[in-house]
Amino acid sequence: MEVSEILAYSASAIKLRKLRAGLTILGITIGITALVGLLAITQGFQVSLQAQLQRGFATDTIVVTTQNLGFGYEIKDFQLLVSDVAIIDKIDNVKRTVPMIQKTCFGEFENHTILLNVVGVDFAKYESIYPESFKLKTGSMPEIKNESVAVVGARVNDPWQNGTYLAGLNDDFEIIYTTRSDFEFTNQSFPFKILGMLDEIGGATLGGPSDYSIYIPLNQAESIFDTNETSTIVVQAEKSDEKSLTETSDAIEEAFDNQVLVVSSTSIYNTVSSVMNQVQVLMTGVIAISLLVAGVGIMNIMIISLMERTKEIGIMKAIGMKNGTVLAIFLSEALIMGIVGTVAGIGFGYLLAWGVNSLDLLGGMISSATEGTIMGGIPSTPVLTTTNLLSALFFGIAVSILFGIYPAWRASRLEPVDALRYE
Amino acid sequence: MLGALDKPTEGKVVIDGTDVSSLNSGQLSELRRRIGFVFQFFNLIPRYTARKNVEMPLIVAGVKKKERAKRSQELLESVGLGDRMNHKAAELSGGERQRVAIARALSNNPSYLLMDEPTGNTDSKTTEEIMDIIRRLNRENAVTTIIVTHDRNVASQTKRTLEMLDGKIVRG
Repeated sequence: MEVSEILAYSASAIKLRKLRAGLTILGITIGITALVGLLAITQGFQVSLQAQLQRGFATDTIVVTTQNLGFGYEIKDFQLLVSDVAIIDKIDNVKRTVPMIQKTCFGEFENHTILLNVVGVDFAKYESIYPESFKLKTGSMPEIKNESVAVVGARVNDPWQNGTYLAGLNDDFEIIYTTRSDFEFTNQSFPFKILGMLDEIGGATLGGPSDYSIYIPLNQAESIFDTNETSTIVVQAEKSDEKSLTETSDAIEEAFDNQVLVVSSTSIYNTVSSVMNQVQVLMTGVIAISLLVAGVGIMNIMIISLMERTKEIGIMKAIGMKNGTVLAIFLSEALIMGIVGTVAGIGFGYLLAWGVNSLDLLGGMISSATEGTIMGGIPSTPVLTTTNLLSALFFGIAVSILFGIYPAWRASRLEPVDALRYE
Repeated sequence: MLGALDKPTEGKVVIDGTDVSSLNSGQLSELRRRIGFVFQFFNLIPRYTARKNVEMPLIVAGVKKKERAKRSQELLESVGLGDRMNHKAAELSGGERQRVAIARALSNNPSYLLMDEPTGNTDSKTTEEIMDIIRRLNRENAVTTIIVTHDRNVASQTKRTLEMLDGKIVRG
């Protein structure tokens, strides 16, 4: 019997029970949709994480912080002081140290008042640690330290991403800092001038510059916030191999009696990617189960179909059909359902990934999970790879055939006399 | 057993000089292609047209499309169904179905026709029509036909009659 005739025969048998076949196909479709969609999403996150590392993260930096990292670290009572850099500077392999004073304040611009993340840094040092991301689009970096000048992150000046700019170069604005003593709140205003605008970075990381921050000279921050406490000290190392970074991190931790959190960007990246790998393994397991369920569905339907068509199989055998051909017919039925289900699943999975992307669900989810920590918001978009699509196709078809084998084998082994007598 | 659908537990069945017991399933399938089956309940495939049903043994045997079309048309015309070829088997009457079944049985140019109660489910008029076809095939195309029947009227029209009772030949 010709292959095309076998396929036509199987297709006609499937058409006979459209709803039933449809539901079986749906099972496969759901499994494959999950496979394609979820893989696209997790891989999207990994890709953006990697891009982040190459862009914002300087791999030779270590961050010393008392802040919560948002990944289950506990908050400590210990406070780092700006003068503590002197302790760190003495440690081996330390090249530069930049203390940061970070506060949330209101910014009053000509037409708008918005919440600002104000960061006090030493501009020259900070720029030399993050030359790729702390880069000006227009204007200049402040040189004289006690001037009331600021450098603005790209998103700060265009918060709604629609071209409504808060201010221009050399514009004046006010930073409003609220202090509290007992139940008394006092608002203090400090006039500042915009000296430079940063280029868009696209997400922020551990200690690095962010699109959502406004930068002022460190001593200005010290005086307006009336503090010498720093939330984060960024340390640049001489040697950036993993071993040296670990040694330096350990030395810093020891210097502060284990009261501070010391992390290198590399170690953060390793932690996050190992978490992601575990998530992916877990998800693969769930997807495998859903495909298994779909496969059992196929087997179930094929066995019912086999029982219903026992007599027909008897007829076909009486007119000379070989066992192998009966086997091929049943397998191709499973194959047709598998292919249809898989192709539909790839389509839906693609739509799922695309939908998640266009509604920015993923970016929003991950940004909100990481925002407010010193990791900053990490934007992410789903990634569809050819490998994923091909493996979805492979698994979809493999599962259908695998679960079609037993019913097909049983059909092929039917004795013609018994099959003909079957009612 | 005459149709090589079953194997004997004792003794031998020899068809065309071959001992059926000695064949494997593949060879049995090949052998069945040389036998034309007609069943009491027609056993057509209801979702297929009359024509496709007749072509089925040819499709199974791997005969080319053009040849199948020609052969099925000839056969259906010879059983008087030239105008019903493209109707689904489910849409045909009992007599028509049985004629399609005969046409199907003949499609592979079988060595002989094996009919199991071919008139068991038909009225007397249809029975007459079917017997006419069988006689004509025998006369014009020299097709040997073995009929199993309870109908003495049908039995009386054959050239040789063997009577069986409880599985034993009692006369003939």
